[in-house]
Amino acid sequence: MRNYSLGIFLALMAPTLAWAAPSPRLALPDFTALAQQATESVTITLDAALLAMAGRFLNGDDPQDAATKDILKGLQGIYVRSYTFDKDSAYQQSDIDAVRNQLSAPGWNRLVQTRSRKSQANVDIYIMVANNQAIGLALIASEPRQFTIVNIVGAIDLDKLHKLEGQFGVPKLDVDVAKVPTPSIKK
Amino acid sequence: MNKAAPGFSDEQLAKARAGDAAALESLIRAHQSSVYSLALRMLGTPELAEDLTQDVFMQLNGNLRTMGSNTHLMFWLRKVTTHRAIDQLRRRSRFEMTSLDEMPLVSIADGGDPLLQRHLQQLLLELSPPARAVLLLRYQEDLDPAEIARTLEMPINTVKSHLKRGLEILRQRISHPESRRCEDKST
Amino acid sequence: MSEDLESRLHAALTPVAPRPEFTQNLIARVNADKRTEANTRGHRRSPKATAWWLIAGMAASLLTAVGMQHHLQSRRQTESGLEARRQVIEALHITSEKLNLAYEVIKSQSSSPADDRSGV
Repeated sequence: MRNYSLGIFLALMAPTLAWAAPSPRLALPDFTALAQQATESVTITLDAALLAMAGRFLNGDDPQDAATKDILKGLQGIYVRSYTFDKDSAYQQSDIDAVRNQLSAPGWNRLVQTRSRKSQANVDIYIMVANNQAIGLALIASEPRQFTIVNIVGAIDLDKLHKLEGQFGVPKLDVDVAKVPTPSIKK
Repeated sequence: MNKAAPGFSDEQLAKARAGDAAALESLIRAHQSSVYSLALRMLGTPELAEDLTQDVFMQLNGNLRTMGSNTHLMFWLRKVTTHRAIDQLRRRSRFEMTSLDEMPLVSIADGGDPLLQRHLQQLLLELSPPARAVLLLRYQEDLDPAEIARTLEMPINTVKSHLKRGLEILRQRISHPESRRCEDKST
Repeated sequence: MSEDLESRLHAALTPVAPRPEFTQNLIARVNADKRTEANTRGHRRSPKATAWWLIAGMAASLLTAVGMQHHLQSRRQTESGLEARRQVIEALHITSEKLNLAYEVIKSQSSSPADDRSGV
């Protein structure tokens, strides 16, 4: 009887426990209306199955493909939304706030925040860490005529991302993942 | 105006399709420089370039009936040449540098510096094959980014990144030469 | 400087003709290939042979149809895989561009701190 009651209790609590665990996957809004106004739009949604498929078509002999394949190991998803407009202020900050608000939830740590008055480019980079490893990356870049949201889910190796320099021009961020505080899960 | 195939018309293409040997010869003479130059600047040696050029035209021979227009023909030639060159380079275990002496000097009618031109061709060989192909299609074939994207079956943003990054690399290496073989006369 | 480099690239990349001997050989080969193809197509057959060819053709068509379906399926999978690969590369390109943007702003802080503010 006790075991039966315990079982019911755990079954009822499971959704709550699952909800409490932070997820590196962001809920991206539907930007269809914005996409229609944009001169260029990029919508990329790659889950684990598609990433695995892509990996099979990357050639290990090509340095760029090999570096890409290496980065893909351990990733569960890559999600990109990027919109370019032909005039300033064609989008509202509120369009991006729905995403930004998710990054103030437990688990996300802001790595970099840059604000440039000269170029009016703002870039925020967040990571989610568990067991001393980055398990999620979120990047929001907003410029007068473009905004971009990138969400990478999975075991991101920041060193490998850095080593893409020369292939994709990725700069070194000088981040020690071990120093980023591990999030505590709220009960 | 296409600088690669002057004086070859859709009417001559129709004759070549119908089996007219003289028209077929005109087709080869009109397009061989473009194909050969792409192959040479991708692969680095005249021997490999000749092999690839021959393969491309033999393949064209089997597909001539599908060529509806000169525009389609040129698109097909560029696409097949660049794809085959990239495939060949990927099969090599590492990119082999070409001696400056193997690259033919081009006589520049406008009185340009032939050594600088050769230096630029050499520097192109140091870029990754996809970046090299993008720059060749842009500056040899005068294609715009959208046409390059269609030819290489590459996203247009990737084409633009390759163009931007490729020019940056060339600019850097011209300003800071490392090789004693290259007499850098750039400003 | 940018326009100077681009115009130099245009000049450096003027198309080059192959050796005249190569061109002659190529034309000869292509013409020979064309003649072989024409001879094969022009070959006449007797009525008996025609019936035999008809039956063989039908059998071949059936096999081809089955093979084609398999080939089309395989081709669709290949196209999907290549498309996924293209999207991965584009996604990483975009990510690196934006990381670079942040890096440039941070770098410019050291030269003109009044214009930019950044935090890590």
